Amino acid sequence: MFQKIALAVAFSPRIEALLAEARRLRIRFDAELILIHIGEKSAELEDKLDALLVKHQFDKSRVKIFWEEGKPAKQILHICKQEKVDLLIAGALKKEGLLEYYIGSIARKIIRKADCSVMMLIEPSVEEKPFERIVINGTQLNQTPQVIASGLAVAQRLDAQVIHILNEIKMYGLQMATASEGCEDEVSQARKQLVNEEIKYVEDILKNIDKGTLKINIKVTSGKWAPELVKFSEKINANLIILGHEKLGFFDRLFPHDLEDILQNLPSNILFLRS
Amino acid sequence: MESLSHHDVINLLLQLATMLLMARIFSEIARKFNQPSVVGELLAGIILGPTILGTFGPEAFEYMFASNPQANLALDGFVQIAVILLLFIAGLEVELHLVFSQGKSALSISMLGLIVPFALGFVVPYFMPEFFGLAEGNKLLFALFMGTAMSITALPVVVRILMDMNLFKSKMGMLIVASAMVNDIIGWLIFSVILSFMGKSGNLNLLETIGITVGFTLFMLTIGKALLNKMLPWINKKLSWPGGLLSLSMAFCFLAAAFTEWLGIHSIFGAFLLGVALGDSDQMPERAKEIVHQFINNIFAPLFFVSIGLKVNFAANFDLLLTLAVLVISFAGKIIGSGIGAYKGGGFTKRESLAVGFGMNARGAMEIILGLIALENGLIDEKLFVALVIMAIVTSMTSGPLMKWSLSKK
Repeated sequence: MFQKIALAVAFSPRIEALLAEARRLRIRFDAELILIHIGEKSAELEDKLDALLVKHQFDKSRVKIFWEEGKPAKQILHICKQEKVDLLIAGALKKEGLLEYYIGSIARKIIRKADCSVMMLIEPSVEEKPFERIVINGTQLNQTPQVIASGLAVAQRLDAQVIHILNEIKMYGLQMATASEGCEDEVSQARKQLVNEEIKYVEDILKNIDKGTLKINIKVTSGKWAPELVKFSEKINANLIILGHEKLGFFDRLFPHDLEDILQNLPSNILFLRS
Repeated sequence: MESLSHHDVINLLLQLATMLLMARIFSEIARKFNQPSVVGELLAGIILGPTILGTFGPEAFEYMFASNPQANLALDGFVQIAVILLLFIAGLEVELHLVFSQGKSALSISMLGLIVPFALGFVVPYFMPEFFGLAEGNKLLFALFMGTAMSITALPVVVRILMDMNLFKSKMGMLIVASAMVNDIIGWLIFSVILSFMGKSGNLNLLETIGITVGFTLFMLTIGKALLNKMLPWINKKLSWPGGLLSLSMAFCFLAAAFTEWLGIHSIFGAFLLGVALGDSDQMPERAKEIVHQFINNIFAPLFFVSIGLKVNFAANFDLLLTLAVLVISFAGKIIGSGIGAYKGGGFTKRESLAVGFGMNARGAMEIILGLIALENGLIDEKLFVALVIMAIVTSMTSGPLMKWSLSKK
């Protein structure tokens, strides 16, 4: 599914953990790996990277390294496009700090503008930590059937165990206030129906998908999907959130919503799938 | 502090009880005929008011609603609060998230659905102000008001129709809802500018008014919303639930209303914008929204709609030609505008675009509130007000059946 994976390398304290994660993902997806560093190339940095690659037993014939100068986000995306990368991995911080290197503007720019799927790791580790609990965004959007299908494929490659698919009831408050013009039975019927419709939506998508041994839990929420996704992921201590990717423009920043909401406070590692 | 006398209190309580009782009876009847409850509530007011009771049982009407200025003043206070709260929930219904996710198609439907009826509503009355009953004052202001009164779609009515037709979550449904939301915001923006010129407090010039209105809107939707986002989690966690959230959101609503009234734009605009900011906040739970809706829709909304019938004699002020003219302009403007928007910008077929136009054609509470404020400020006369109320009722009642009709034909 991902044939070419890229890792954005900054020589931060987490570089080793990120390299280890990238190597494991490369193996799981049987992909080629490229490393991209934007910044000055020096012998010292080259040696450092080389030592780390040796330490983590990288198959050097399948690793390509790019050293480029310029604006980080722009250059990284440019190389990804040129090299036809399917998945870009980068480190991210849980909470946005203005001075941080990779989260803040650069991570956001990457997510906003990337043409490929993007995985942001907030807690990369040298030791393998399994992606046991994965949350997939199942809210009704055009891309959702595709996101669920690809998300389950990714989950199987990652040996996940439990998959939670979250779907929201749109404008629950207003819908219920409207339905409440009926009598008591009609209102409770309407309430049940709203929930059942959302479950059915996900079930219909799941019908034709190979689920392997994955245990799937469909959860229906009310309220806006993005903050609900964050809240739920925090609650179950999810290892990875999978959602569809959409390009964002200026207005999305002025009136932040959905994706931007999630980026403000990443609850776990996150994978934006590009169809 | 002055207080009501023993007799005033009894009168006020009887007024409130009668209004709520009659509103309930008639909204239940409306429900039986699958009509929005606002239709029944307006009818209840017409029956209790000068139109029916005042004509056929003048003593009873006199005793109930006209003999006691103090009690009437107190009742007017209730109605004022009701209008502010109605605007607050109208704002709460607007979900900017949804609008953005629908993107350009929603914008094209709502823009054309706003511009065409606005233009028709502006041009025709501008050249025929006497026919349309310009009461006194500025012709331009009058035409602007008419344009706005033709352009705001009634979101709750539309939601109801879409839910009944099982179209709420369809592409068409979401687009209609999002477009109606955009219409709401822009319509109220324009109206608040008009209002500041009608009102007693109009000491700002045009540019200042527009600047303040737009500035306050942007402030509420960005910084205001961010502040609410910070405060709500604390309110939800630390204070009693939903009590804390309910009383504080009402308090903020009244504060915002007072602020815009002080600025010289009407109080309802502040309530509306606070509603938008609060409704769009991630931290406003849907359950709380439902409670606010229930509370206002079933207690304050009926008081307001019944009070409309109490204020105006619908029989004496009914002008068939005027009503027909208002109906033609409102139908033509909205259906053509939104229909073309859906056809050009939404990629719908002709039939579907027509259905979108019919859906967007529903007007309701907002036109009536708009009309009432214009009436109270002497911009329009009672005849035009009656025509506007009838237009709101007719468009609300026909919107669903017409949508069904246009979608049933292939």
